[in-house]
Amino acid sequence: MAGLAGRLRKRPPKYSAAALAWKGLRGQSWPRVWRDCDLQRSYDAVVIGGGVHGLATAYYLARNHGMTNVAVLDKAYLGSGGSGRNTAIVRSNYLTPEGVAFYDRSVHLYEQMAVELNINVMFSQRGHLTLAHSDSSLRTMHWRAEVNKLGGVNSSVIGPDEIKKECPSLDTSDHPRYPIQGALYHPPGGVVRHDAVVWGYARAADHMGVEMHQKTEVTDILCEGGDGPDGKGAGGRVTGVRTNRGDISTPIVINCTAGWASLISTMAGVRLPITTHPLQAAVTEPVKMFLPTVVVSGSLHVYVSQTDRGELVFGASVDPYANYSVRGSLEFTEGLAGHVLELMPGVSRMRILRQWSGLCDMTPDYSPVMGFTPVDGFLVDVGWGTYGFKAAPVSGEQMAEAAATGRTPKLIEAFALSRFDNGELVGEKGAASVGH
Amino acid sequence: MLLVPCPNCGPRNSTDLRYGGESHARPDPNTASPAEWRAYLYLRDNPAGWLRENWYCASGCRRWFSIERNTATNEFRDPPLPGDKRGGAA
Amino acid sequence: MTMSRQGVQPTEVIDRAAKLRFRWNGKRFSGFEGDTIASALAASGEQIFSRSMKYHRPRGILTADYWDPNLMVQVGDDPNVRAGHRLLESGMDVRSQNAWPSLNRDIKAANSLFGRFLTAGFYYKTFMRPQWLWPTYERVLATFAPGGKIDLDTPHAYHDKRYTHPDVVVAGAGPAGIEAALAASGEGASVLLVSHEHAVGGHLRYSSDAADQAALAELRAALDASDVEVLTDSTVTGRYEDNWLGIVQRNHPIAVERLIKARAKTLVAAPGLIERPYVFEGNDRPGVITSGAARRLANLWGVKPGERAVVFSANADGDAAAADLERVGTEIAAVIDGRTGGRISSTSGSSRAVDAVVADGASIDADLLVVAAGWTAPTSLLNMAGDRPVYDPAAARFFPSDPPSNVLATGGLAGDADLDGLRQHGAATGRLAAARAAAVRHRLQSRTARALPVDGDEPAWAPDERVPLGRDPHPELYRADTHGMVDMSEDISSKDLVAAAHEGYDSVELAKRYTTATMGPSQGKLETVNTVAAIAEARGETISQVGTTVWRPPYAPLTLGALAGRMFEPVRVSPIHPWHEANNVSIIQAGQWLRPDHYGDPAAEVRNVRENVGLIDVTPLGKLDLRGPDVPKLLSLLYVNKWMKLGVGRVRYGMMCAEDGVVLDDGVTGRLGEDHYMMSTTSSGAGGVWEWVENWLQTERPDWQVHVTPVTTAYASINVAGPKSRELMSRVCEGVDLDAEAFPYMTVREATVAGVAGCFMWRIGFTGELSFELHVPAGHGLHVWEALMDSGSDLGVGPFGLEAQRIMRLEKGHFIVGQDTDGLTLGPSTGLGSLIKLDKDDFAGKPELAWAADRSLPMVVAIQPDDPDVVPEEAAQIVRGDTNEILGRITSSRYSPTLNRSICLGQVEPDLAAGGTKVTVLLESGERIGATVIDHHAHFDPAGERLRG
Repeated sequence: MAGLAGRLRKRPPKYSAAALAWKGLRGQSWPRVWRDCDLQRSYDAVVIGGGVHGLATAYYLARNHGMTNVAVLDKAYLGSGGSGRNTAIVRSNYLTPEGVAFYDRSVHLYEQMAVELNINVMFSQRGHLTLAHSDSSLRTMHWRAEVNKLGGVNSSVIGPDEIKKECPSLDTSDHPRYPIQGALYHPPGGVVRHDAVVWGYARAADHMGVEMHQKTEVTDILCEGGDGPDGKGAGGRVTGVRTNRGDISTPIVINCTAGWASLISTMAGVRLPITTHPLQAAVTEPVKMFLPTVVVSGSLHVYVSQTDRGELVFGASVDPYANYSVRGSLEFTEGLAGHVLELMPGVSRMRILRQWSGLCDMTPDYSPVMGFTPVDGFLVDVGWGTYGFKAAPVSGEQMAEAAATGRTPKLIEAFALSRFDNGELVGEKGAASVGH
Repeated sequence: MLLVPCPNCGPRNSTDLRYGGESHARPDPNTASPAEWRAYLYLRDNPAGWLRENWYCASGCRRWFSIERNTATNEFRDPPLPGDKRGGAA
Repeated sequence: MTMSRQGVQPTEVIDRAAKLRFRWNGKRFSGFEGDTIASALAASGEQIFSRSMKYHRPRGILTADYWDPNLMVQVGDDPNVRAGHRLLESGMDVRSQNAWPSLNRDIKAANSLFGRFLTAGFYYKTFMRPQWLWPTYERVLATFAPGGKIDLDTPHAYHDKRYTHPDVVVAGAGPAGIEAALAASGEGASVLLVSHEHAVGGHLRYSSDAADQAALAELRAALDASDVEVLTDSTVTGRYEDNWLGIVQRNHPIAVERLIKARAKTLVAAPGLIERPYVFEGNDRPGVITSGAARRLANLWGVKPGERAVVFSANADGDAAAADLERVGTEIAAVIDGRTGGRISSTSGSSRAVDAVVADGASIDADLLVVAAGWTAPTSLLNMAGDRPVYDPAAARFFPSDPPSNVLATGGLAGDADLDGLRQHGAATGRLAAARAAAVRHRLQSRTARALPVDGDEPAWAPDERVPLGRDPHPELYRADTHGMVDMSEDISSKDLVAAAHEGYDSVELAKRYTTATMGPSQGKLETVNTVAAIAEARGETISQVGTTVWRPPYAPLTLGALAGRMFEPVRVSPIHPWHEANNVSIIQAGQWLRPDHYGDPAAEVRNVRENVGLIDVTPLGKLDLRGPDVPKLLSLLYVNKWMKLGVGRVRYGMMCAEDGVVLDDGVTGRLGEDHYMMSTTSSGAGGVWEWVENWLQTERPDWQVHVTPVTTAYASINVAGPKSRELMSRVCEGVDLDAEAFPYMTVREATVAGVAGCFMWRIGFTGELSFELHVPAGHGLHVWEALMDSGSDLGVGPFGLEAQRIMRLEKGHFIVGQDTDGLTLGPSTGLGSLIKLDKDDFAGKPELAWAADRSLPMVVAIQPDDPDVVPEEAAQIVRGDTNEILGRITSSRYSPTLNRSICLGQVEPDLAAGGTKVTVLLESGERIGATVIDHHAHFDPAGERLRG
C-alpha cells in the first residue's frame, strides 16, 4: 500500500531531563518533531487546518479510533493562525451547563497534556479573575458561579478584599470611574504555552502515522450528489479535496479552520452563521513578575496575564467590522491601555512591544459550530470566535469521535449547525462578549 | 484607523460609525419558511473580498448607508448608496 | 576595553560646562548635558551594563543607540529604559536590571556552564514529571524573567495626545528625510518631520567628515527657515489604515510622553539603515561594538571606546570608524577588510581583553573589536502598509517591493548613493509626496456631499518619476565559521537556530516561536536578518527563499501611559443631582449615569411610597420624540402589540422584540397630539432603541414620514408615586384636571407644573401606586423637584431611589429587560404573550414569535420561598430535587417590606410555570429550599387597584 512504509517509523526519543542531559553531553541533536511527507492521493480522512483544533482532531482520530491514514493540511505552517495568535487562556467557568461540561472536559485534558503528549505545555493554573464593575455584571458572575458549581467546576464570586489578596496589583478602591465590585474567581483557570500545544499534538499524531502537510492549500472540496453546482450542497457527499499540490480522494473532510471557515465551507456548498472579525492582542516588554493571576474585565473589554518571561499579554474584544486583514490598529492599543490603567494604574510606564491580530469567526450565540453538515462526510469544527484555543483538546476528541463513528457525541450536541435552522441557540452570549 | 466614506459627511474615522454588517434582503415575514427566515437571521456569505454592507454614521449625520468594501484589503468601492436593506437583524 | 572621555570633538553634542550628577547602582557618577546614560557611564569607564537573559553573561555597549539590547536599565520607577538613547538628567537613579546580587558578580552566570543543556526550547522537553512539581518549576523559571521592576504606586502621570492632519509626514530625519520635508514644504504642503534621534541629521551627526558637517549645517539652517514642523526624540510607531500614523513624542516639555495621531495624506519613510551585528563566537563580549557605536561614542560624546582596537570593516562606515578611533587616540591594531575576504572568527581573552581571532587562526591582542558587517533595512512602516520586502543578495539587504502609492521610501531604505545623491532622491520624494498629498486633499474635500465647493478638478495622481537610488554591492556577512549570538536580548545563538531548523522548526516563523529569537525588546531590529540567514544556512537555502518575518507595530515601544492619554470617562447626571448629593444619597452607577440608589433606608422609602408619596428621579429613562403621520405604523412595526388606534392623550405599554423574537426593550409610548408621540425606553436601552428606530425607518420604510428626536436629556423625569400623589400634584399643577376620571390611568397631559410650562405628565408607574410621571424641561428639573418637596412636606413626601423602586416593581411583578430576561428570552416567555398580535401584517420578529407560540418555552414567573425570611440570591438556581439538574433560576429577589416576606421573579422550564408549582431553589450557600410559583407576576395588589386610584 502506498505510503504505508512512510507511516511506520522507529519510535522517536522521548523528551526528558535525562535525555536532554545525555544529548547535551554527547552533542547530539534531536530528530525532526514531525516528518516531511509526500502527499498521498488518498486518505481515510483529511483535516483542513493545521492549528490546535485540526491537530488535536487528527491526534484523537489516531489515538482513540485507530484512524492513522489521515492528513492534516495547512496553507501556511502549523499553528500559523489563531493557535499562535491567541492569549492562551484556559478556563471552564462558562454560563450554560452545556458550555461548562464541554470546557471542563477541556481543562481536564489540558491538565494531562504534558504527560500524555510528552511535551511541557506549561499549563499554569494560576487562577482566573473575571471582574465585575456593575450591578448587572456582578449578577451575571453569580449566575455563572452557580451553574459552574452545579457542573462541578471550581468557581465562586469574591469581593474586592479577596480580589486584592489574589491579585495585589489591581486597584480595588472606589477611585476608578468604574470600581471593581467583585469577581468571578476560577482557580483552575490559567494560561498554556500555545505553541507547545500545537507542536505536541503534531508530534504525537506524527508518531502514530498521521501526516502533516504544510504549505498545502485547499482550493476546492470535491462533492457529488448535492443540490448545488458540481454536486455540492445539501444532500451530497464529499469525495475529496483539491489542493495546490494536487487532488486527494477521501470520504471525510473536517473543516478545522478559523478565519477561513466560511470560505472552506462554501467550497462544499455549506453556508455558515459566521462573520469573520480580527481580534487584536499586544505584548509589553518584560518586567519582573507582579501579576499572579489571569485578569479579565468584560465591562472594560480587556484581559491580561503575565507570561513566565515577564511580559504582559493583553487582548480585547474583536474589531467592530468584518475583516480578513490581520493588521493591527492604533485605536485598539489606545483603548486597551486606558482599560489596563483603570485596573492597574501602576503600570503606566510599561511599554507595548508588539501588537498583532488573528481572525475570529463569530457566531450569533458566541458558541461554536461542531459536527455534521448537510453534506455527508463534510464535518465542521468552526465558529470558535475568541475562545477556540481553550477548547482545542475536547474539540479534537469529540470531532474525532464524530468523524470515526458517524454519530454526534453528547458533549457537542448543543453546538450542531442545525440549531440555527431550529432557532435553538446556545445562551453564552451574555457571558462571552469578552470571553476570556 | 479606517476612513469610511459617509455620503453626507465625507470620509470619517471608522470609530465615528457603527458597523451594520452584510446587507441582505428581509424576507416577507408572512410567507418566509423557517429556513428562509433563519438564513436571514443567521447565515452570512462572509466573503474575503467585496462585500455590500451597512454603516450608520452614529457621530455624524446619523444616516444608515450601504457601500461595498473589500474585506481583505479594506478598500471601499464608490459610491455609497443611501441605506438600502437592513443590516444586523438580531 | 577601557573607555574614557577625550578632548573636545568638533561634532560633539555634550555641554562640558554642564555637569550632571547621577547614581549608577547606588554609586555616584557624573556626565555632561547631552550625554546619554550609556555615554556618561562609558566615559566613566563602565564596561558592563547588563547581564544576558538566560546565561547571565556580562554585556556591554553594542550599538550605543536606542536599539542596543544590552543597555536596558531601570531609571527610578521607569523600567527598561534605553540607556543608549535616554538623555542623562541630574539626579537620575539608574540601576542595572538583570543581575543578582550585582552586575560584576552574578550568581546565575553559572547558567552559562550548563549552556549545552539549555538549548533553545529545552523547557518544552523537561519538567513534565512529576506534574505536581510544575508550579514550583514555573516559579523558578519566572525568576529568570528579564527586565526591570514596576512600582505599583507609580501614578498615571500626565500623558497627552494630539491629533494632526498634515499633508506629508516624513519618518526619519537623515539627509534624505530632511530634503524630502523641505521639498514638500516648498511645494506648499504642510509637513511634519519626525526624528527618532535627539537632533536631526541622521548619520551626518556622527560623521567627522567636513563636507558632511557642512551639509548638516546647511540642512539645519534650511529647516529652521522653513515651515516644516520638526519633532525630535519622536518615532513614527505605526502606519495603520489610510495612513493613520501613531507618533510617540518622548521629549514633550510637560507630558511624560505624548501620542500624536496623524492622518497623513502621504507618508515618506526615511528611517535610514540599522547596522547589523555579525555572528561569531564571543560576539556578545563587552568590547565588541558596531562601527556606528564607535563613531557615536567618539564623535558625539568624545568618548574613546578602547585603547587598542581591531576593526572588521566591510564598508565605508567601518573605514570611517577606524579613522575616528585613531583621532581619539585608540590604537588600531589591525583592520580586517571584509570586502576582500578578511573574516573574524572569534574573540578570546579575559575580562578586559577582546583578542580577535581571525579566519586563519591568528590572534590579535586588543581591548576593542569594531564590526562593520552590513545593514538591516528597517522596512517596518512599509510592512505595516502591506509591502513585502525583497532580499537583494548583491547588496546584502532587503528592499521595498511595492508599497501603496501614498507611502514613499527614500534614503538608505530605498537604496545607496553619495550624500548628494541621497539628498536629491529625498527632495524628489518630497515633491512627489506633496503632489500626491494635494490630490488626496482634493479628493477628501470633494467627497463630502455638503462641503464647500472645491476648486478645480482633482489633480492627477503624480507619476513616480524619481531617479531610483543605486544599490552598492556589499558582501553577505551573517555568520563567521563559528557560532555566536544572534539575539542578544534573548540569548539565542546561531547554533540554537540551526538545531531548531534540524528539529523541523524550519520556517522562519516556527523557528522564531520555538527559539524566541527576535521576540525581545529590540523586536528584530538587529537580529531578524541574522535569524533568517541562520535558518537559510541550516536548510541549505537562500535568504530570499526563506523570506523574512513580518514587522509588527509599534516600530518603537511606547508606554501604556501614552496610549491611554488622559483617560476621559464621561459621567452623566440629572439636573436634580445636586439635590440628591445634598440629601444623603447613596449613588449607584448605571452605565455612564450616576443615579440615586437610596437615601439611607430603602425599606422606609418603600413604606413611604405605599403610605404617603415619594419622588424618584428617573431622568435616564430613554425618551424619543416622534412626529409625523406615519408614527402609528412605525410603532406597530417595532412593538409586538397594536398602535393604530391609540387616541390623543392615551398611553400604552409596548414590548419590542428583535427579528429573532428575543425581547429587546419595553416601555410606554403616549400620543401627545395628532401627529406627535413620545416613546419611552429602558434607561440602558435608550441609545440602542434610537438606532433601532432609525435603522427601520431609513432602510426598511424610507417612505414613511416620521421624524425622530432623542429627548432623553432634554427633560428631567420625576415619578411622583403614592396614595397622596394626586394631592401633591394638585398643589403644583395648573391647567389639568387631575381627577381620576378626567385624567385616568394610562393617559398623558401637557401641563404647567410649579410654574414651568411644557411639562408632560403621564398617569403611569412602575411602583404599582397611583403615580404621575413628569417630564420637565431639563433646565427646570431641579426647581420642579424642590417645589414638589416643599409643597408636600405635610403629606410626608420623600425621595426614593432605585433600590426602593426595584423592590416595588418586584412586588408588582414587573420584569426588567436584561435582568429577568436574557439573550434567548422570546417574547411569550415574559408572560405577556397576549400582547403579541400575530394578526398584524408585519412587525419586527413576527415569524419567530408566530412559531414560538407553538413551542414550549421557559417562562418568567413570580416565586415565593416557603420560608418568608429567606431571600435567595439573584442567580440562585432552580434545580430538580436533590439533583444538579438545572430547571431555572431566580432572576430578581428582594425582601418585601410591604408583604414582610421574600419575593422573587425567576425563569423556569415550561412545566414548572403553572401557579402553585413547588420548586427547589439552590442557595449560594449550598442549602436547598422550597418555593412556590404563584399564579400571576404581582406579589402585591394583583388587581392593580392602587395604581388606577
